[in-house]
Amino acid sequence: MNGTVRILLSSAIAIVGLTDAAFAAPAKGGVIDVATIGEPPTLDPVSSTADLVGIISQHVFETLYTFDKAWAPTPLLAATLPEISADGTVYRIPLRAGVKFHDGSTMSSKDVVASLKRWMKIGSRGKQVAANVVSVEADGDMAVKITLKTAYAPLTAFLAFNNSAAIIVPEANNEDTLTKIVGTGPYMLKERKPDQYIQLVRFDDYASRAGDPDGYGGARKQWLDEIRFVPVPDANTRVEGAVAGQFAYVDSLPIESFDRVKAGKAKPVLLKPFGWPMFVMNTKQGLFSDITLRKAVQAALAPEDMMTAAFGSKDFFSVEGAMYPKDYVWSTNAGTEPYKPQGATEAAAALVRQAGYDGSKPIRILTSRQYEFHYKMALVAQEYLKAAGFKVQLDVVEWATLVQRRADPALWDIYITHSPFLPEPALIGFMSDAAPGWWTSPAKTAAIAALNTATDPKKRIAAWAEVQKVIYAEAPAYKVGNFNALAAKAPQLEGVAPAPWPYFWNAWLEK
Amino acid sequence: MAASAPISASVSGDESLVAGLMRRPPAVGAAIVLALVIAAALAAQWVAPYAPSKLSIASRLQGPSLVHLFGTDEFGRDVLSRTIWAGRVSLAVGGSVVVVSCLIGVTLGLLAGYFRRLDGPLSRLIDAMMAFPDILLAIALVAALGPNVVNVVLALGIVYAPRAARVVRASTLVIRELAYVEAARALGVPTYKILLRHVLRNLASPITVQATFIFANAILAEAGLSFLGVGVSPDVPTWGTMIAMGRQFMDQAGWIMWFPGIAIVASVMSLQVMGDALRDLLDPRLARTT
Amino acid sequence: MARVILRRLVEMVAVMALVVTIVFVIVRVAPGDPAAMMLGPDATPQDITDLRARLGLDSSLLVQYGRYVAGLLQGDLGQSIFLARPVGQALWERAEPTFFLTLFSIFVACGIALPVGILSAYWRGSVFDQVTTTTAVFVASIPSFWLGLVLMQVFAVKLGWFDPSGYGGPGASLAERLHHLVLPAVALGIVSSALIARFTRASMLDVLGDDYVRTARAKGMGEARVVLKHAMKNALIPILTVIGLTAALLISGAIVTETVYGLPGVGSLVVSAVLRRDYPVIQGTLLIVAGLYVLINFVIDMLYLVVDPRVRY
Repeated sequence: MNGTVRILLSSAIAIVGLTDAAFAAPAKGGVIDVATIGEPPTLDPVSSTADLVGIISQHVFETLYTFDKAWAPTPLLAATLPEISADGTVYRIPLRAGVKFHDGSTMSSKDVVASLKRWMKIGSRGKQVAANVVSVEADGDMAVKITLKTAYAPLTAFLAFNNSAAIIVPEANNEDTLTKIVGTGPYMLKERKPDQYIQLVRFDDYASRAGDPDGYGGARKQWLDEIRFVPVPDANTRVEGAVAGQFAYVDSLPIESFDRVKAGKAKPVLLKPFGWPMFVMNTKQGLFSDITLRKAVQAALAPEDMMTAAFGSKDFFSVEGAMYPKDYVWSTNAGTEPYKPQGATEAAAALVRQAGYDGSKPIRILTSRQYEFHYKMALVAQEYLKAAGFKVQLDVVEWATLVQRRADPALWDIYITHSPFLPEPALIGFMSDAAPGWWTSPAKTAAIAALNTATDPKKRIAAWAEVQKVIYAEAPAYKVGNFNALAAKAPQLEGVAPAPWPYFWNAWLEK
Repeated sequence: MAASAPISASVSGDESLVAGLMRRPPAVGAAIVLALVIAAALAAQWVAPYAPSKLSIASRLQGPSLVHLFGTDEFGRDVLSRTIWAGRVSLAVGGSVVVVSCLIGVTLGLLAGYFRRLDGPLSRLIDAMMAFPDILLAIALVAALGPNVVNVVLALGIVYAPRAARVVRASTLVIRELAYVEAARALGVPTYKILLRHVLRNLASPITVQATFIFANAILAEAGLSFLGVGVSPDVPTWGTMIAMGRQFMDQAGWIMWFPGIAIVASVMSLQVMGDALRDLLDPRLARTT
Repeated sequence: MARVILRRLVEMVAVMALVVTIVFVIVRVAPGDPAAMMLGPDATPQDITDLRARLGLDSSLLVQYGRYVAGLLQGDLGQSIFLARPVGQALWERAEPTFFLTLFSIFVACGIALPVGILSAYWRGSVFDQVTTTTAVFVASIPSFWLGLVLMQVFAVKLGWFDPSGYGGPGASLAERLHHLVLPAVALGIVSSALIARFTRASMLDVLGDDYVRTARAKGMGEARVVLKHAMKNALIPILTVIGLTAALLISGAIVTETVYGLPGVGSLVVSAVLRRDYPVIQGTLLIVAGLYVLINFVIDMLYLVVDPRVRY
């Protein structure tokens, strides 16, 4: 980003977060409306990896761990970080005493064991962990013990994550399909009217951690009386709502509406860099079970044009093959040579011919317009893939349908999604063999095993570089670039930290 | 294109229709606009300055200029070229809907109007189909059949068929009592011959009028379905999908949305004006009702 | 008279039966297995077979049709897949915005169309007549979502008089909710006014030429009284007819308008149901809306019988 624009942006964006505390004392009370991207399919964050589900449900349900400002795991319902045995296979997790559920019962190790077992049974991240788990058992009333087959460094990060989250619910409510929305969070569900609102109210018996807020960790303050999540599926309607000052917070705005939002009644909130769009390929069935055709796609795509069409100005994106941007410890350029900003049509065409592709079967790109940038990238990709000799068919469906269809390997060849930069690389979707795309290979298994069993942080970083090389060598998915995210908040709303999954405890309304 | 063919057929050498239309300046204007739109759509590959899906990311969101008369969209595609090519699809959808709905409608209407026994059941069927609001029925049909151009045509064809059927039935009821039709029946002319030779020919006028209005409605309905995201796939350029895609840039680049919108209004209005004029001329009895 | 009513009643029942059948056919034509759809991607083949049996999908189409009709007769519209509640309840929860939107749109449409229609008939052939007639054709040619977007841009986003979307939060007062309906009602009302204005003009023209109007004039009655009292009274029946039918057809407009303005009404419900492949909701909405239309039609016919003794079947 060039200097002048940076100055412009930073002066335009409200400086939110803790710094504001020095200027204004937070006041208790108030109700906020938060515009979200749609109606969540469920409020159970175990059963869904959708960011939307995570954003809403993290106010109601809590996990043993969460992330602090520096994206390091920090205890939430656990009393401390886990006590790990020398060989890295036994985790003892002490629990906080006196934590109440919304139904009035008190959390104990029984609830935690049952909840973790449920997570390992039905949560996609839980299943990923379960393969390596020998047992989960209570260690007295106020601690649990997890025994692993082999050392598994990412475990704490997995327990801390907020989608496909290892939430703790009362043992009595422990069903595969959660029917009672009862957690330990600072806000509890009052009413849910599908397509209209999800109304959360303050939980008066909330047991906050002591001290100051620290990212998702630390103390959680309950200034607001009520938080309502209002589904506004149409992105333009969200922009118009932000400009007109209709909502206290509007999530996920098209980044190109920055100037409009800035000129309106809300303040833009920019998160930079936010995440990375990806084209996931179906390695299990159909065209892309052939690695040569996957490499052809990798060569054919031109990320610079795709990102420009999707995000407009270069102020809002960068073209980078590395899986983590510069500021992250995980950032490395290892293996990224196949990433060509302008695409390599000739090389791609050669690969297409080499694979013996005859054009009888089109590439089915499954995408949705819930995120307009997905669709725009698909359109540009379509042109580049055609130029390389592919036939292409766009299947544009509603996001919910996409989530349903991507689980069936017979229905698609590429699907488009995106991810925030995750605190732990093991959390990345296609790292799991079971994630849609179903990428498995000996090289992958070996590289990921090295990453997961290494306990020394330096060794883990080196191991990650090897994983990235395999990702580029086998092309199970295509990372398009880095993009920034835009949200908007009302001028009176304070204490909201820019975050990939915005949260509204700690937030308050200026009088 | 579909509208012009039946007109000449129905007049059967009679010059008064053309003369009548010429006396009505709005109809003349509408005919010219319609002819231009149709000609542009038919000759799209020669008229359009660029290929409609030619991406040029570097020149995205440019305002109207000499290079791009209608500006460019968010992919740097030429809006003028896209409007022309989209017109081809939109008009083809409208025209095909007319054909489908008239085929179904004329069959139903003829049978109901000519055969007394069939009249009751068929009229009830027509009533039942008319009970569904057009967009709602179209949405449900497209949802059932699957969203693509052919199914949108089929769905809208079914939606508008009862309108054609009602008009045809009413006219058939009158025609079947005409002296020479009765004479033909008395002479033992086979029924299918009577229907084809005498009845159908007399139906040309009311069908033409109705077809014009169905055409206009079909263009509007396609745009509505595309806007709702339940019609033609958004990568097929139609006027409706162009507006739906351009909505995000309403403030920055209104031209993406304005030009296809103008094309819709111009075409639909011309069709309606033509329809009114034709109705006045061909079928004075109907002139005052819908 | 009683025989006429009875015949119309029988006809109405026949039409309703056909409506029910058409809806059944449309939904059954839909590709894909509803059971697989309901259970989601992780269902085992055994789960799907069980649910098919439970839903009665394994029996013949005729048996299914019979069950479906029997369910309807008991007021059972089925169960929404996505919303996890009965379709009837889902529709009822969405009825209010659609009802008020329709009502307001009719007010707006009549407020524009009746004076314009009457005056253009009275001044037939005048500049006013020509301008309004042309304007009516123009208005009828504007896609309704386009008009909705323009109004939203000007009055909600630029001027800030209204919220651009939604229907107020939980506990919003009736006044707040109605405030959210102003723009959509105006957008929808303007579009529907074209048809009503045309009808009003045509009916008034019919009546203004009649003998008793000429008589009234000859008796030296004031023009305003002639038009409003005598002529209007007789033109009212066809006008009311078209207003009634417009009201039933407004659901079409409401689908688009509710989507543009994010109103949680029946129209936006059906659009999201299509996008979510929630077939029972689509089916239920079709039935209710078409049923209402048939009923309104029937009531209008009955009114004709009562109001206008000349009408005989």
